Amino acid sequence: MASLPKAGPDKAFQEHVSDGRLWLQYCDDCGEAVFMPRVLCPHCSSLSLDWRPVSGNGTVHTLTVLHQRSKPGQPERQNHAIVLVDLDEGPRMMSRLPEVAPEDIRIGMRVKARIEGKDGERAVVFDPQESDQ
Amino acid sequence: MSTPNGSGLRGSAAIVGVGTAGLGEAPGFNAMDIQALAVREALDDAGLQLSDVDGVFCANMSHTFPVISTIEYLGIQPRWIDGTNTGGSSFVAYAMAASLALQAGLCDVALICYGATLRSGAGRMVPANEQPTYEVPHKPRYPMTAYAMSAARHMSQFGTTREQLAEVAVSARLWAQKNPEAFELGPLSIEDVLGSRMVMEPLTVRDCCLLTDGAGAVVMTRADQARDLKEKPAYFLGGGTASYNRAVSEMPDLTSTAARDSGARAFAMAGMKPSDMTILQLYDAFTINVILFLEDLGFCGKGEGGAFVSGGRIAPGGDLPVNTNGGGLSFCHPGMYGVFTLIEATRQLRGAAGERQAGEVETVLCHGNGITLSHQATAIFGTDATL
Repeated sequence: MASLPKAGPDKAFQEHVSDGRLWLQYCDDCGEAVFMPRVLCPHCSSLSLDWRPVSGNGTVHTLTVLHQRSKPGQPERQNHAIVLVDLDEGPRMMSRLPEVAPEDIRIGMRVKARIEGKDGERAVVFDPQESDQ
Repeated sequence: MSTPNGSGLRGSAAIVGVGTAGLGEAPGFNAMDIQALAVREALDDAGLQLSDVDGVFCANMSHTFPVISTIEYLGIQPRWIDGTNTGGSSFVAYAMAASLALQAGLCDVALICYGATLRSGAGRMVPANEQPTYEVPHKPRYPMTAYAMSAARHMSQFGTTREQLAEVAVSARLWAQKNPEAFELGPLSIEDVLGSRMVMEPLTVRDCCLLTDGAGAVVMTRADQARDLKEKPAYFLGGGTASYNRAVSEMPDLTSTAARDSGARAFAMAGMKPSDMTILQLYDAFTINVILFLEDLGFCGKGEGGAFVSGGRIAPGGDLPVNTNGGGLSFCHPGMYGVFTLIEATRQLRGAAGERQAGEVETVLCHGNGITLSHQATAIFGTDATL
C-alpha cells in the first residue's frame, strides 16, 4: 500500500497560508511549482513535493465581470469581477481583486497575493502592486 | 486489429435513424419521458424496433446513473452500455465509441440518446455538483465564467471584437429562421446582440446559448446493415477526442482548446482535411466557441476566427455553412447539445433539411465541447460517395 504524506494537500495548503503568505508546492525532482495542491507532480509524476512561501507577485491573465440583476425592491447588486492570475513562479489561479472596482482591472495588471478568510477556509486574493496603481 | 489512426473504423458504421422530442418547452414531462419519445422517433426513422437495440450510450446532468435509468425506462436489456460523461461533448464521442462497439460485435444496433427538461424543470442551468475547489471561493458562475474569460483573452491577444462575436449569434439566428423547430426565430442584428443585457463581460445574453427542454436520439448500425435500412446512411468517417483539464484555471492556453487534437485525430482517421468538409456543426454554447473551434479545427489560423466569421461567411449563403439548424444559440440547448450536431449532420447528408438544406452536402464535421472548454470530441460523417 502506498504511504500517505503527512497531511492531505488541501489541509496542508490551509495550514501553510494561515501565516498570511502564499505557499506553493515545489517538485524536488523537476523543480516546477505546483498549484492546485496535489500529492504528485503533474509535470513529472514525482511524489516529492515540498511547500515553500513564494513572492505572491503575478499578472492578470484574463478577467470577466458578472453583471447581476437586482430583484424588485431590493438593493442594487454589485458587479463581480473574477480574474485568472499568472504567478511569477509559474502556476495560474482563479481569484479576485476585492479592493479594486471591476472597471479598473486590466489584463496585464501587476498584482500581489493576500490571504483572506477564516481558519480552514482561506483563499488567495490579490491587490494591485503599488507601481501599477 | 490495430490500424493506423484507427482508420479501420472509417466507414464501418453509420447513423441510420434520428429523432427529437420536447424541443423548446415540455412542461409536465421529465427528461426520461421526452428522451423515450425521441428514441421511438429515431427507431421509426430507421425502421427498427426498440427490441433490436442492444447497445446504449448516454449521459445527462439529471441522473447519477443515466444509462441504467434509461434502459429501465425503455424496458430493454442491452449487452453493451457506455455512460462516459464528458459533458455536452459526450454524444459526439459516442459516435466513435458506438462505431468501435459495432465493429467489435459487442452490439448490432447502437442507440445514442439524451433528454433534459431544464427550462420547465429547474428554470436554470443546473451546474455539476462538484466544482473546482480552488475556484469556488471566488464565486464564478459556471459554465459561463470560463467562456467569458477565454473570450476576454482572445480579444486582448488577437484583437477580436464584440462585433465579431455577435456575427456568430446573428449567423445562427439566420439559420434558425429557416428551421421551423427552432426556439428563437425573431430578427437579430449585430446591434441587437451588442445592446442586449450584459451577463458576463464580454458576453451578453445573446452571446449565450438558450436554455430549453429537449431530447435527441441517434441510431447506428454497421455499414452493411445500414445499406438495407429505410434511409440514406450517414457514414462515420473519423473521430477523435481530447482533454487537458477540468477547471478553466488549469487550461494550458485560454485561447486554444483540445479541439486541436480531437480534430487532427478525426481528420487522420478519415484521411481528410478541413477543406474537404461541406458544412460544420460546432457546439456553440457561447459565441466564442465557434471562433475557437474554427481556429483549432484548422479552418483558419489561430487568432483569425473573428475575421473569418465576419461578413456572413458561416451564415446562409456564406462560403462555409456552420450550425445549419440554428445551433445552441437559436435552435435549442437543453443543457447538453452534442446529440443535436449528429442529428442535423444526418438530415443534411440525406438532403432532408428542408428550407435550410445547405445544397448538396457530402461531408459534415460535428464538434462537441464539454464542461468548461474541458473536453473536445470531433466526428466526421459522409455520404456513400465518400467511402
